[in-house]
Amino acid sequence: MFPSYLEQPQNCQFEGQDPDEKIILLLRPHFITNLSWIFSAVILAFLPLFLPKIASLLGQALPALPVNFTAAFLILNYLLVGVIVFEGFLGWYFNVNIVTNKRVIDIDFHSLLLKNVDLAPLQSIQEASGSVGGLMGVIFNFGDVFIQTAGSKVSMDFDKVPNPTRVADIILDLSHNLGGPNAP
Amino acid sequence: MPLNPPFLDLVFLLPYVRLGILLILLFYVIFALIIFRQVDLMSRTLIAPLSPVVKAISIIHAGFALGLIILVFVIL
Repeated sequence: MFPSYLEQPQNCQFEGQDPDEKIILLLRPHFITNLSWIFSAVILAFLPLFLPKIASLLGQALPALPVNFTAAFLILNYLLVGVIVFEGFLGWYFNVNIVTNKRVIDIDFHSLLLKNVDLAPLQSIQEASGSVGGLMGVIFNFGDVFIQTAGSKVSMDFDKVPNPTRVADIILDLSHNLGGPNAP
Repeated sequence: MPLNPPFLDLVFLLPYVRLGILLILLFYVIFALIIFRQVDLMSRTLIAPLSPVVKAISIIHAGFALGLIILVFVIL
């Protein structure tokens, strides 16, 4: 339902896409990288159920608040859960790396207020490499792709994408086909 | 018999707690509006199958945040 590796997606477009430009790869960080915020949200969602027990285990008593105040605190707690889930999902779903038949695009939304789009034409790509590291990376086959370009911005990187070596290979092949610096 | 100082008295504290909760919810409404703006920008940058759904959720979320501040104002 939420793929992080799409080859030639049919129903995706991006801002500034040329009429003759075709998306070859659409990449997001591997879904397993969302585990940290999912875990936080689950803990926070169940916290009100276990809070009285935790307090009694510690030998403390929770202050007896009126029911309406307890309800308000519960609402605040679940709002926080909602924020963690929504923000986590937005950050994952819209931070994408796109490879088209013309260029490589890295779209980053670093926070709610910062958007960064890096573009590099395929012809300017000098080198692409993929690396898989860490326990989760090895188990789920995800890692980083580093792209070296000939322009003033010397490199781009795709973080924690699935099949990094295959992605690097596809990018280099496309660059060679378009007569990039490493074309035979 | 020793009495608690007034600042530790729950009844004394509750109006301040109420004010605190309402302030947090007010900031939450502002945050929800920023999220709505950001989602709009995101879904214009990447037009994906889920973009309209996420945009709809952000609109509902902003309305929900506004409704919630009214609800909490009434129940507290």
